Amino acid sequence: MDEAASQLERDHVHSVYERIAPYFNDSRYKAWPKVKQFLLEQEPGSIVADVGCGNGKYLHINEDIFKLGCDVCRPLVDSAWSRGHEVQLCDGLRLPYRDGSFDAVLSIAVIHHMSTKERRIRAIKEMARTLRVGGRIMIYVWAMEQKRRKFEKQDIFIPWNPNPPLSPALRQRGNGTQSVSDDCDSSDKHRKVRSISSMVDEGDLISPGQQKQQRLWFFSRSLDSVLDFTSLTVSRSSSSTLQTPVDEASESRSRRTSSRGLIRQMSSLFSSSSRTSLEEDVFISDPNEQVHKNDNRSSGNGNETVPVELVHDCSAVPLPDLVSYQRDQSTLEGHMEVDGKSSQQEPLQRQESTASLLESDGMSGQSSEQPKDSCLRYYHVFREGELTQLIQNHVDELHVLHTYLDHANWCVVAEKVQVWKV
Amino acid sequence: MKLLTHNMLTSHVQGVIKGYPLIIKATEVKVNELEFSAPFVSRMIPKLEWSLISALNCTLIPDYEKDEEFLRKVHRILLEVEVVEGCLQCPESGREFPISKGVPNMLLIEDE
Repeated sequence: MDEAASQLERDHVHSVYERIAPYFNDSRYKAWPKVKQFLLEQEPGSIVADVGCGNGKYLHINEDIFKLGCDVCRPLVDSAWSRGHEVQLCDGLRLPYRDGSFDAVLSIAVIHHMSTKERRIRAIKEMARTLRVGGRIMIYVWAMEQKRRKFEKQDIFIPWNPNPPLSPALRQRGNGTQSVSDDCDSSDKHRKVRSISSMVDEGDLISPGQQKQQRLWFFSRSLDSVLDFTSLTVSRSSSSTLQTPVDEASESRSRRTSSRGLIRQMSSLFSSSSRTSLEEDVFISDPNEQVHKNDNRSSGNGNETVPVELVHDCSAVPLPDLVSYQRDQSTLEGHMEVDGKSSQQEPLQRQESTASLLESDGMSGQSSEQPKDSCLRYYHVFREGELTQLIQNHVDELHVLHTYLDHANWCVVAEKVQVWKV
Repeated sequence: MKLLTHNMLTSHVQGVIKGYPLIIKATEVKVNELEFSAPFVSRMIPKLEWSLISALNCTLIPDYEKDEEFLRKVHRILLEVEVVEGCLQCPESGREFPISKGVPNMLLIEDE
């Protein structure tokens, strides 16, 4: 499973960030206040690591401490370096730092990109290793429970939209300074939007029909629960539409290793679901979602069945990192454009028809620039208490100090403790 | 890569027991000017792995907090000198991690 997990992260985290890195606009980046506070509280002369620093938005805070950033995405790391920060390219699962070298570590919106529980634990343990005893770590991850939206599943793919348009209300208020690119954790914009425009409140201006059309993300089965190719139930309405892409996928699967094929199947299935999505949810309920380890290979050729559960809705309720842009009702240009691989030509066309469907529904006409590449980001959103439990049950060297919900993120602050093994 | 950063780094190749100090092979070095802060440097000093810095011809002296000349020297070495191009070599395995445009690439391939 680790191979499949790595591959999933390569396709739907690393390569996506590499592609969207140029769109990240630093002027729109503001630090989450509590993270900023955490940094400002560090003693002068402290050495702090930001693991998964992105383009370095936290690295300028507090001149009295020495900060190191690292990330796996080269364009983002280069961007951080050009701002004068000390950064390295590395993998969160294998940090190139000595044991106990840091007084504090940040992990902001990072481990929710890890596709299995085991990898998430490993990432936390790695960071704990680099913390000195008494040092503190702050971890932020996306919450499953959000004020106005409910992720029905924890493992999801979220499309990235480079050109989310402004809502009419915001435009009127001359808020044209909002640049059109997306970013993660755009907290400040979110607050600005909230304060200036009480009328642009989630759900208020949106009719239920529109609302349903505008939610947009894909659910996947967690890689932790094994993809059992033989025992899934598929809702009747969608099984026929899924036939073709599944065949394509199974063809391609036979050509590749099972893990790659799995990923392809997932991707092809997202696009295939879009055709039916606007009218109904493609929702596969599988009561047998428990973990039972089962090798992909051994579970056979699952030609008739679907390995993932997919829902395709659109929502105007903001995602934690698309906050300011998703608040408007008129558009959601996060059209799913699947990677233009040869096995997916057909799904790509279906995507475009989805796009035109959305347009004709009266959405604003900014659909001319759509990402041609797949910009599906994988997330495992966390339930309340999940992160805390993960640490308490699996990371002895960390002692949880605080847990709280911050703007749709679960946050944990923990301290490194000495563990004596008898 | 500043030399202060180098102090934190280690080779994490599988099987390596002690992957530091990484041997610095620099092909391009830059020296920046950075505002000196005695409290910052003196607080930093106890956190460092001094064996790495002694290798740079700088030994830790007692009572360093009061010695501004010493602190300035440490400041210059750790914070103002920057390796822009070159590589870091693992002292045990010999594996080289490239530094390009000031950024060390510490990514390992799958089986390392």
